[in-house]
Order: sequence, then structure tokens, then C-alpha cells
Amino acid sequence: MKKRQATSLLLTTVLAASAFVVGVQADEYSEDQIHNWTFFGAMPQPEINDGNDIQEIIAKKIGARVKETWLTGQSAEEAVGTIIASGEYPDFIDGGDGMKQLYDADALIAWDDYIDQYPNIKELYSDAEWDKFRQDDGHIYWANVFQNSYGENRSTTHNDEAFWIQVKVLEWGGYPKLQTLDDYYDLLERYAEANPTLEDGTAVIPYTMLCEDWRYFCLENAPEFLDGYPNDGSVIVDTEKLKIVDYNTTPTAKMYFSKLNEEYQKGIIDKEFATQTYDEYIAKLSTGAVLGMCDQWWDFAYTINDVFKTTGLDLKGCNYVPLGLTAEAGMDNMWHTYADTLNNSSGLAITTSCDDVDAAFKFINDLLDQEIHDLRFWGVEGVDYLVDENGMYYRTEEMRMQAADTEYKASHLCGYSYFPQWLGTSKDGINAMQPSEQTSEFFAGLAEPLVKCFEAYGAENYPDMIGSVNKELGNWFPMYSYSNAMTTETAGGVAWTKMGDTKHEWLPKVVMASDFESAWESYMEAYSKCKPEDFLAEMQEELERRAAAAE
Amino acid sequence: MQMLHVREGRAMKQNKKKSSRPVEVNLKNVKRQSPLLIWSAVFLAYGVLFYYVPLAGWVMAFQNYKPKTGLLRSKFVGMAKFEFLFSDHTFLRVIRNTFAMGVLNLVCTFVMAIGFAILLNEIKSRFGKRTVQTISYLPHFLSWIIVVGILHDALSSTGIVNEMLVRMHLISSPISFFSHPRLFWPIVAFAHVWKETGWNAIIYLAAITSIDPSLYEAAAIDGAGRWQKIKYITLPGIRPTIMILLLLNIGNVLNAGFEVQYLMRNGLIQSVTDTIDIYVLTWGISQSDFSVGTAAGIFKSAVAIALIVIANGIAKRTGEERLF
Repeated sequence: MKKRQATSLLLTTVLAASAFVVGVQADEYSEDQIHNWTFFGAMPQPEINDGNDIQEIIAKKIGARVKETWLTGQSAEEAVGTIIASGEYPDFIDGGDGMKQLYDADALIAWDDYIDQYPNIKELYSDAEWDKFRQDDGHIYWANVFQNSYGENRSTTHNDEAFWIQVKVLEWGGYPKLQTLDDYYDLLERYAEANPTLEDGTAVIPYTMLCEDWRYFCLENAPEFLDGYPNDGSVIVDTEKLKIVDYNTTPTAKMYFSKLNEEYQKGIIDKEFATQTYDEYIAKLSTGAVLGMCDQWWDFAYTINDVFKTTGLDLKGCNYVPLGLTAEAGMDNMWHTYADTLNNSSGLAITTSCDDVDAAFKFINDLLDQEIHDLRFWGVEGVDYLVDENGMYYRTEEMRMQAADTEYKASHLCGYSYFPQWLGTSKDGINAMQPSEQTSEFFAGLAEPLVKCFEAYGAENYPDMIGSVNKELGNWFPMYSYSNAMTTETAGGVAWTKMGDTKHEWLPKVVMASDFESAWESYMEAYSKCKPEDFLAEMQEELERRAAAAE
Repeated sequence: MQMLHVREGRAMKQNKKKSSRPVEVNLKNVKRQSPLLIWSAVFLAYGVLFYYVPLAGWVMAFQNYKPKTGLLRSKFVGMAKFEFLFSDHTFLRVIRNTFAMGVLNLVCTFVMAIGFAILLNEIKSRFGKRTVQTISYLPHFLSWIIVVGILHDALSSTGIVNEMLVRMHLISSPISFFSHPRLFWPIVAFAHVWKETGWNAIIYLAAITSIDPSLYEAAAIDGAGRWQKIKYITLPGIRPTIMILLLLNIGNVLNAGFEVQYLMRNGLIQSVTDTIDIYVLTWGISQSDFSVGTAAGIFKSAVAIALIVIANGIAKRTGEERLF
């Protein structure tokens, strides 16, 4: 009896579904009406398959699809430089740190005349925010696509930098309160001594750090946070005196690197840290052998959390939680950025090679329609998520596993992740724009050891865990949006490039040196030869300009 | 083609005989040499189009070039870009690296190739010789990215090299090969030797086979051993080949490589890894300063030309084979 009921139910569903499909087909775009765009993103991302399910659904609904290609094996600036030298641009481009070069080469279309015509695009930013994207010729050429919330902010993750630690280490240590570098490394040391290998015999790596290319922030900018400042990225802003401070030369910087040196000599820090590539780093983290590191959430978590989920390492307590460490115990920390961050130095742009600019803007506009936005981030209803009686989206455990699967992501999901998008609350007022921010989804997706850890610290989510103070940030924040866009046109830009080169070489040297003091001295000497004062002067100028613009 | 060669040969001989009196330019001679003239025109056009016209881009080195304003409207800045180059201690360092690696690679691959060719020549079994030769030149066909991948794996802390050294108790803990500045140049030289020895040996083997066998027979009758035969017959026999190849390669010293260094470099050892080509890439492409990149390129070309002229001059003076 039950079986028959089920069958009839199934039949009705199929009938209903086909009726639905037929109904929609009437206003679907046919293949020859679909516009094929190209996009290049100067950041490494997994490429999706041709004929990807959701990409096709979206194409039929809005009449356009984009072939996305990504950075492989080059730096962003090299890739962008090569594109400029060739003069052949894709229709859409996100040049990362190379946006300024694209602008200088006259390769981009100004957005000014289009923004008002497309309500979904206009809505992305307030007028004052749009103004921040204006280049020195007064026009807007790109829009950043991240960290932008619609309605209520729903952030559950700490999408910033931190010293991370596996929850199993905290559990082993009895969930101690870790406040300083000393506390942190002490726990790592003790844990590694008690548990030198994983179950399968792999040796644990108590601490590793990445210093490849631009990702060397994992090594270099911790002193800024340790001193209790927010993520201005390239400098500290002393808010009281409105003054730029160089975090490379502070006493905290010296303390931090001397601590790293000490731990390196003890064998706590990965011997290969200086030479590992990003791929090698991710591979190491994936095994669950790395107990702690300093990194940005977005740099590892999207990959690693999915891997842990599929391999079951999350149940063994391998997930990372952030710690709000400071130079001295009891200081306020600002590791977490509560508000949206507007990084005006990069974003999505349309190039002069695009043959139908209006259609390109229409495409961006369509992607922001709530229906399409749901397809991009939630997937297909009934397949990737379900809706309960209150209109709340949710996923079964199976759907969550599926969404973490690389194969499935490539063949089925299509987020157009570097096109404009929202965080925060959906226009239906119930759901979150993206599943990672849906509170119920967030909790349902947490592995047991992680939940226990949050409970032990009285935290509900990652930001609670790191416990940053919620101070309002100056309108100049973040200063890195200025330094990212510097070119060697100016003395400050040349200094910035040289400082980067010098730090790339010397910081690992300093960490590995047998005599820290003399290595630090040589480093400081090499560093001052780069004329950091030129760089700082230009940053100071920009800080004052931004502060004045706000008044 | 065959005809052409014959005629060319004849023309050259005639030229040599009456070197005091050049061939008259008249209708008859032009007609007679018309195939030659037509072919030279093609090569002349090719040379002009692909070697000389692009040199116009050198103008960039004296401008503050911007893609926006192009070659015609960018501002001229005289020698400012060169001044920037030579006051940049990174540039001086990359010159040192390029020379050091270039010379090291040249010496190592040269010695190894000659040695290998001679050893291979001593093998009597035809089958053995062919097999070794074929296998040894296979790496030449691998691209650098693959060679570097193999090296990375072999030299990593869990790689075969460290594993072997540890098992043999030569070292107590794995060596991190890519974090010691001192090891980088030898690693690059080794990679070149491994990749190119077999291939480079082919040309010497060919030269050796063209040595008159009667010389060896005569030497054998005079009681020369193997070693003496190598020293007094084989080596002098291939000397002209060695000299020509050496001259050609000296002009190439500054092309010490790009891929190998680029693929194996990391921040920690960048002071010994970066070559002029990498410098050109970072400044010209990444920093979009085409002018500085071009200036560095010009410097490189000038040095290469100087090197080859000097080497040729020395060869001339010592009465060796030479290029021009």
C-alpha cells in the first residue's frame, strides 16, 4: 500500500514538474539567443565543467553564460601584464592587484552612464561608496564584489586573519584561555610532544606558515594585529594622531619574529615553511597534520573544510578555530572586521574588447536578481536545498556532503563567484543570501568537536570565538586598498615593491637564523635601504586625503 | 636545391681565386645567379622583418613608456631608465646570478657532453652504444616544467634523495635543498647536465666518427693505448667542433635560463635565483614598466654581442676555428 502511494506521489511530482518545465520554456532563451561571454580572474580558482547544470539553467533564464578562466602558475600582475601586452582582453576581468595597470592601459569601460540604468547594480553601493571607486579621472571602472551585505549582517565566520588552532588541541589542553603567542606555542609544543603522530603514523606539524608570493601575509603582517589594530593590511593607522605607523619595525614585530625564531629552533615550526608553495601548503593542511598556522579564513577554509568533511577528519577535531592573540595578555584585539569592508582597489570590470556593453551590464544586473542569486549560491531547489513551511531554506546532510564534493561542484554548481553578489539577508527577508551565513545551516554543518569547542568557550560562532572588540572603523579603512594599487610610477610605489622583495627574502632568514639578533640587525639594515619612508609618506598623504573626504 | 649548392660552391671558388677583382655586376651575372639572388631576397626580407624592425621597440628604453600613449606619444626621458637600472642593487645582483649560472652551466654541460661522447665512442657493442645514446638524450625532450617537477619531488624532505641519504646515515635529518642559497646554482647546473648531456653528445659523436680510422690503426701499431688514442687523436680530431660550439655558446651565456629559475625560486633564496630574464619579467610585465624591462633587455644584448666578439677575437689570435 505504502509503495503504491509513494509511486503515485512520485508520478504526480513528475507530472507537475514537467508541466512547470513546459510552462517556463515559453520564455526561455534558445541556444542561438544566448550570449557567450569570457571572463578572466587573476586569482586561482577551480574551473567548472562546460555544460555545468546551473550554468545552463541560468543561461536559459537570462540569455547569457560566461566562460571563466583563472590564474594558473603566475602572479596576478604578470598575468594582467601579459594580457595588456597582447592587447586582447576578455569581456569581463577581475585583475586583482593588477586593476590599476588595466586602468592605466585604457582597457576598461567606465560604468558611470550605466549604473543608473540597472537598479540591481546601483543598489550594490550607496552613492558615497560608489564614489570611492572613482579613479583619478573621476570615473568608475569596477565594483568590488565581496563583503557587501544586503539587509541584516549575518556573518557567522571569521572571514579575516587569525592564529588558527585545531579544536582537538584545545580539547586536549582542557580549553585553556590563550591570549599571547607564548600561550599559543606552549600549547602546540605540549600537544605535539604528547601526540607526535596522527593515527596513520604521519608526523604532526605543530605550526607552519605560508610565505609564497603575495600570500606571505601569513608570515608578515601579524604584528599589526598583535598590537591590537585592525586589518589595514600594509600599515597601522594610529587613530588618535591620525598617523601612519610602520608595523615592520615596531617592538612587537621584533618580539613576534624572535618568538618564531625560537620555535623554529625548537623544531615546532615546519622546516619547509620557507619553500612550500600554496598547493603544498593546502595539501599539508588537508591531511590534518598541521596543528596551527596564521592565515586568512578565505585563504584556506573553503578548501580545507570541504576536505575535512569528505574525509571525516572534522569528526576527529581537525577543524580550525581562530584565536584573538595579542602582544600582551588582556589587550583588546581587532582581528575581526564586523562591518562590510569596501576594498576599492579591485573588482569586476568590463573591458574595451566587450562588443555589447549594454548586454554585459544587463548580465550583471540579472545575476543579482534574487532568483538567479539563489541559483548561484544555494543551487536548485529540491536538489541542493529544501524549503520548509516557513520559507526557510535548509539542506539535508547528504546535500551538504554533495556541496562539498569537488566533482559535484564542477559539474553542477555555478556561483559566478567573482561577479557581484550579496552577503547578509535575502530579499525574502527570511533566508541568508548565501548558505554559509544561514544560521541554522551553519550550526547543522558543524562537526561535533567544533560544537563542543564553541560551547566550552561560550561562543556561538567564529567571531565570538576570536572575541574582537566592535569599534567603528575610520572611513579610511582599509588602507591596503591604496597600497595594493600602487605602481612603480611613484617613489613610494618603488619603495613598496622593494620592501616586499626584501621582506620575502629576509623574514624567513630571520626566522631560521641561528643568531637572531644579528640577523634582525642585517634585516633592518636591508629594510631601511628600501626607503620605507617614501612609502609611508604616500600612505600618510592618502590617509589625510581620505579623512578629509569624509568631512 | 642540389643545383643551387653546386652553383654556390662554384661561385665561391671563383670568388676566392679572383678575390682582388669582384664579380662584375652585369646582366649576364645577374641572370646566372638569379636563383641565389631570389633566395637571398627572401632571407633578407625575413631578417629585416623579424630581427631589425622589432628593434624599433628599443625606443621604449629611452621613454617613459605607457601602453596608453604608445611608442609615438610617450615622453622621452633619455638615459633615466638605465640610470635606474644601474643604481638598483637588485639589478647588479641579477647580472651576477646570470653570469654565474651561465658560466657554470656552460662549463658543466660542455665537459660532460665531450666526456660522455668519448666514453660512448669507446663502447664496442653497437647495440649497447645505441641504447645508451637513445636513453641519454631522451630528457632533452622533456620540458623544464616537468624536469623541475621531478627535481622538486626528488629533493623534497620526503623525496628519494633525502630518503637515501638518511637511510645511508650520511645525514641525520632531511636537508631542505631549496632553502640554502649555496645549493641553488649547483642544482640548476645539475638539471642542465642531466637534461642536455645526451643531446649535446650527439654532435661530438658525429665528429668522432668522421676521424680517419687509419689514424687509430697507425697509433695502435705505434703502441698507443686507449688513453693515448683519446688524448692524441680523438680530442684533437674534434677540436674544431668544440671551438665552434664553444663560441656559439659563449654568446648564449647570458641566456642562463628563465624557466628553471622561475619555477624553482622562492622568496628565501631570491638573491641567488633571479636572472636578468626574471628581472625583465617582474619590471616589464608585473610592474608594467616596459621601459625598464626593455633597458635591461638591451643591456643583455649588448653584453652578449661583446662577449661573442671578444671570444671570436681570442680564437682568431690563437689560430683556432672562428665564426667571423
